[in-house]
Amino acid sequence: MRRLRAGLISFAHMHAYSYARVLKELPNVEFVAIADDDKARGEEACRRYGVKRFYEDFREMFKREELDFVVITSENAKHHDQAVEAAENGVHILCEKPIATSLRDADDMIRRARKAGVKFQTCFVMRYSDVVLRVKELLDSGELGRLMAITATNHGKCPGGWFVDKELAGGGTIMDHTVHVADLMRWFTGSEASKVYAEMGINIRKQLTVEDNALIMLSFRNGVQASIDPSWSRPDSFPIWGDVYMELLGSDGRLMLDGFRQVVYSSNVKGGPTWVHHYWGCDVDYEMVSHFVKCITEDLEPRATGFDGRQALEIALAAYKSIEEGKPVELPLL
Amino acid sequence: MSEVGVGERLKTVVVGYGFIGRVHSERWSKIDEAKLTAVVDIVPERAREAAETYRCNAYTSLSEALDREKPDIVDICTPTYTHKQLVLEALNAHTNVVCEKPLALSLQDCREIIKAAKESGMKFMVAHCLRFFPDYSTVKRLVEGGEVGEPRIARAYRLSAKPGWATWYLNQDKSGGVIVDLAIHDVDFLRWLFADEVSRVYAQALKPRDVKAQTHAQVLLKFRKGYIAFVEASWSMPDGFPFTTYFEVAGTDGIVLLDSRSSTPLTVHRKGGVEELSPVGRDGYLLELQHFARCVLEDKTPMVPGEEAVKTLEVCFAAVESSLTGEPVNLPLEEV
Repeated sequence: MRRLRAGLISFAHMHAYSYARVLKELPNVEFVAIADDDKARGEEACRRYGVKRFYEDFREMFKREELDFVVITSENAKHHDQAVEAAENGVHILCEKPIATSLRDADDMIRRARKAGVKFQTCFVMRYSDVVLRVKELLDSGELGRLMAITATNHGKCPGGWFVDKELAGGGTIMDHTVHVADLMRWFTGSEASKVYAEMGINIRKQLTVEDNALIMLSFRNGVQASIDPSWSRPDSFPIWGDVYMELLGSDGRLMLDGFRQVVYSSNVKGGPTWVHHYWGCDVDYEMVSHFVKCITEDLEPRATGFDGRQALEIALAAYKSIEEGKPVELPLL
Repeated sequence: MSEVGVGERLKTVVVGYGFIGRVHSERWSKIDEAKLTAVVDIVPERAREAAETYRCNAYTSLSEALDREKPDIVDICTPTYTHKQLVLEALNAHTNVVCEKPLALSLQDCREIIKAAKESGMKFMVAHCLRFFPDYSTVKRLVEGGEVGEPRIARAYRLSAKPGWATWYLNQDKSGGVIVDLAIHDVDFLRWLFADEVSRVYAQALKPRDVKAQTHAQVLLKFRKGYIAFVEASWSMPDGFPFTTYFEVAGTDGIVLLDSRSSTPLTVHRKGGVEELSPVGRDGYLLELQHFARCVLEDKTPMVPGEEAVKTLEVCFAAVESSLTGEPVNLPLEEV
């Protein structure tokens, strides 16, 4: 069996560590190189995952290595140039969400990947959750009737670092946390958002220059009405990282999805009066990366493509536009 | 109204022996400060049933009850569209009045009631029970105590199966629909919690083709201080769905969270079904009605006078308007 040669660009996004672990776990993948503009961070990751070659410049990595695919987990604004370079070199692309910080960048990435004939998958990991897959099955079976309304939250703590730097992240909590559930809404409804209205709150954390709480309302072309709470409204002391929560109302039934409720609780005398939650549900990162590898080896279409990444990004950008204009925004934006 | 002496119990008449009337009658029967002397219902069998249950008198008209009982308190528990006429009649007879929420179905009607209450000099309260619920008042206490620091963002759910206990709920003209009848609870609680007014509202609502009312609503509120909140209210849950509420508020220093799905201490499994129970003797309804009785006895201003209730209703009317136009609505609404 030929092993696929994998590279990874940047450990700026914390998900990189989990994807890197999966790259090491997959028997048909050889994790050959890491590129990171933070030399110390990249070299440390090379040691941690037993990766032999390190590059400060990702272009150098594409030039020197014969990669089959690359995982892009850099700051959002850097995805575009890195994905374009991968496409130019005929390397399949697994790109962290949000796909980019502008629709122009996203469209360019998708176009170039298509032209180069490489796979482009957006890291919408929730599409690989067994809980979510069961929801998709239930909806597709028609058991709940016609889907009419969705309420969703993707709460979190403030990740800090470049996530709160508008230049690198493209925004704050709306850019970071809208796209996962927006993507699931598109997947579940099989429809596109037609209208978005949003309100931004006053920041919970005064020192931030990007927003950390907001509320979004959406209408879909097929009539589904929805809402998203993408806020970093959980304090650092919160016992879990956040949530992916959805209520789906159909004409014949209703469904509640709480993506990460499969936990064991523990409490320890050293930890103070609190519960620690230990998640035991499916490993979505493993399922997603291994699915991408399968798409390459068996020439399949990724479950969440670059286009899916772009459409979810458009919803986040529409939310910003609505806040700026103080009124509902019609989609498509371009 | 007769003067009430020390140790005397306030003569109380409940009007309307439907869903909430039954709840209120049972609580009045447990309140030391009051005595449930009569129940009024236009359906004679229902009035009689109440009379048998609580050993009180039964009437089929408020006028007759006012005349014969000379009550200290009248508690209006009838459908919303009948509130104005009954409240005005009771105030006119110089009784103290507590009226179930929503107060009325237009700002104009609310203003008439408020004016009449003021002119009568009697105590008047709208029964926004959430302010008295032990769980919600714990949230209020925690937030006031600084648990979340300065509030920033809140969310609230209130989810129910189709109201099976009366048909008028599913008529927008009679109940105001799911926003005015159900979301109103959380809108009022948020106004009280934040001690602030809503400046802008945006809402989406579903009205099933075969139903005459909106039955599922998502409401986005922006307060003057800049706080934002999401409120969801539904009568669209499938039959048998356990009534579910959720509330959270996050702020500069933390978060407070309340979920009826994880705070139910009692689960009863029977053949063919599960029942989840959260019994509290001194529940929100009892505390609410007792509060009103004490306001009457001690000459104090009730927690939710008409002026408060109308502000909550104004937000709800604006939300309905937004759901129909698809545009955000700024508050306060223009004077009619």
